[in-house]
Amino acid sequence: MSRRIHPAVVPAQPFQLTARETFDGPIFETEEGKHRLEAALSRYPTKQAALLPMLGFVQSVKGWIEPADMVEVAEALDLTPAYVHSIATFYTMYNKHPVGRHFVQVCTNISCHLNRAEEVLHRFLAETGTREGEVSADGEFTVIEAECLGACGFATVVQVNDRYLEDVTPDCVPEIVENLRGTRNGGPDAGGDA
Amino acid sequence: MAENGAKATVTLEIDGVEVTVPSGTRVIEAAEHVGVVVPRYCYHPGIPTRPAQCRMCLVEVEGRPKLEPSCTLQAADDMVVNTASDTARTARQSVIEFLLVNHPLDCPICDAAGQCMLQDYAYVTNQLESRVDEPKRIMGRDRISDDILYFADRCVICTRCVRFMRDVAEDDSLIVAQRGDKAYIDTFPGRELDNPFQGNIVDVCPVGALVHEDFVFKARSWDMDAAASVCPGCPTGCNVTIDTKENQIVRVKPRHNAAVNSWWMCDYGRKHLVMTNRGVRAELPLIRAGGGDGDGGELRPVDWATALDWVAEKIGTLGAPGGSAVVSPDASNENLFYLRTLLDRLGVGDADFRVPQGETAELPTVPTLKLRADRAANAIGAGFFGGRSVDGPPNGSAGGALVVLDDELEGAGEDFGASADFFLYLGTRLPGAARNADAVLPIATFAEMDGTFTNFEGRVQRFHQALRPPGLARPAWMVLSRVLARLGDGEAVDDVRGAFERMAAQAPAFAGLTWDGIGLKGAPAAGSAAEAAGVAGSAEAGA
Repeated sequence: MSRRIHPAVVPAQPFQLTARETFDGPIFETEEGKHRLEAALSRYPTKQAALLPMLGFVQSVKGWIEPADMVEVAEALDLTPAYVHSIATFYTMYNKHPVGRHFVQVCTNISCHLNRAEEVLHRFLAETGTREGEVSADGEFTVIEAECLGACGFATVVQVNDRYLEDVTPDCVPEIVENLRGTRNGGPDAGGDA
Repeated sequence: MAENGAKATVTLEIDGVEVTVPSGTRVIEAAEHVGVVVPRYCYHPGIPTRPAQCRMCLVEVEGRPKLEPSCTLQAADDMVVNTASDTARTARQSVIEFLLVNHPLDCPICDAAGQCMLQDYAYVTNQLESRVDEPKRIMGRDRISDDILYFADRCVICTRCVRFMRDVAEDDSLIVAQRGDKAYIDTFPGRELDNPFQGNIVDVCPVGALVHEDFVFKARSWDMDAAASVCPGCPTGCNVTIDTKENQIVRVKPRHNAAVNSWWMCDYGRKHLVMTNRGVRAELPLIRAGGGDGDGGELRPVDWATALDWVAEKIGTLGAPGGSAVVSPDASNENLFYLRTLLDRLGVGDADFRVPQGETAELPTVPTLKLRADRAANAIGAGFFGGRSVDGPPNGSAGGALVVLDDELEGAGEDFGASADFFLYLGTRLPGAARNADAVLPIATFAEMDGTFTNFEGRVQRFHQALRPPGLARPAWMVLSRVLARLGDGEAVDDVRGAFERMAAQAPAFAGLTWDGIGLKGAPAAGSAAEAAGVAGSAEAGA
């Protein structure tokens, strides 16, 4: 992960993970963290402007943003932890609670709803043995309902971490869950091709 | 906006009244010139940022298709503003209705009831029935700091508190968390607000969302009496309002004075003032007139006439002039003036005063407002009247006359004043070190009388009586004027005007000042820094 890429390209490297490794410790002391911080700071006129990308980076690494991370981001960007807290809570797509290695978001908006999205959602919950939003006992899954994911032509759409699974039916859910259980970081065969 | 010409003033019409204001004035402020207070939540004259987010101050401007927020709208020539047109009122009514969707109906237990801008505007818009069927969202209560509670359900998210902290106190630790109907005011998880000026967020709160814990559930607004006063916590002399209930100080709020404290005051001042409720007070005149020369008997309580006659008689029979005095730097100018008149008569030179020291604190955007290290209200005034600042325990070993004015004599030994020919103690309390006094005259605290303090830059500021003095305690100027009258010096005064007049006539620093002339905003003493700086004007500080 030590490749040097042009800062402008950084957001186009969305870490298409279907599962992430657990991470613990100061994020901006890792080589990747230093690089991302430096790249973001070079892109914007003020340090404050780099806040959203940096929160996004933390979430891409850890899956969620806990108060200790907010303090770390605040220190890196010369902001107060309280300010970072206000921004992180303003945006609902920053997770403020732990999520499983596979963060499954099932779209239930109109097109997906017409294509049995609720059944897909309940099937996911049943297969992972969780209630909505909680982390499964093995730490693998968190399943939530999502608003429109912008892929209405491929309803029902399910987003697993940064990856879209399209045309998901309730019947494919067990296989998807099974495949996800077996995958590690960035596995190309993460299921969902059904 | 577009035209920033050289014109100094603009003339516009607000609600049918023509008004001329300096260019750059916002319509909400121009409206106040014609007596129209446009409803507002997020706008506060002391907070520089104006997000125009509460949408309460929307007004109609002729020729403009949409309503404009008057807090950010610059007054311009030929502008015709209507603050109470049907459109403006309807818009305001909608804002109130939306705020009431989730606002609890807990006015009967809310500390802001009676002084609440939401309550007031809701009555004005006359929405007696709610159209909402859904249950209200319930968020509960949080602690913002060690002494400030936050009732999230009552909050209207005007962000005055957040912007006071961020833009006035420059402390970016209070924020709005979440968004929409879930939004609430918060600090970083696990941390509390810790700023010496944070109490002001309670004052700026237009509703009952932020409350001081030492005031919560203590008094209804209509049960309180208020008196204009001056904070005695330090020489800054912040203008305050003292709210009292049943002869106790229950709350202290800053009173606007652009030349001193702008709209704010520090937390030390608030707590210091409320603490004055504490302690046992001296309530009766005591004299040692039992055996023979008056040095054998015990102190015994008498009425004022007896006490004053006896004190005057003792002073009249004192031998050689000379002696010493200990005064409190918290005494008012009038008290110090009358004491000085008496001391001159007794041939006493410097009066020692001791100023306790404390930590300082500054409000970054208001340079005049500062919690100063000297913890005394009137050390400057004491200096005017022959006071001398000293360190260490009070010296009471000299012979001759010894007069103590409201100093609690901390650190004084058992024999304090024992060798004085005549030891007169005037005090609000009766400390052990007054045990050798020949006479104890109970006096009122500053909150129990009218008077003036001189602040750090020589600004003479009036304070007014907020409390009834306990027992027979009376203002020291009233007491001392009677002692002097019995000695043939002047007349007994019952009214602070009389005391102030005599002081202004005799003390050079107060020459030319009158009680009425000082008004509620104060005036600089002759030759003071305040006079040199010309701070008598009303230049807006901190805006």
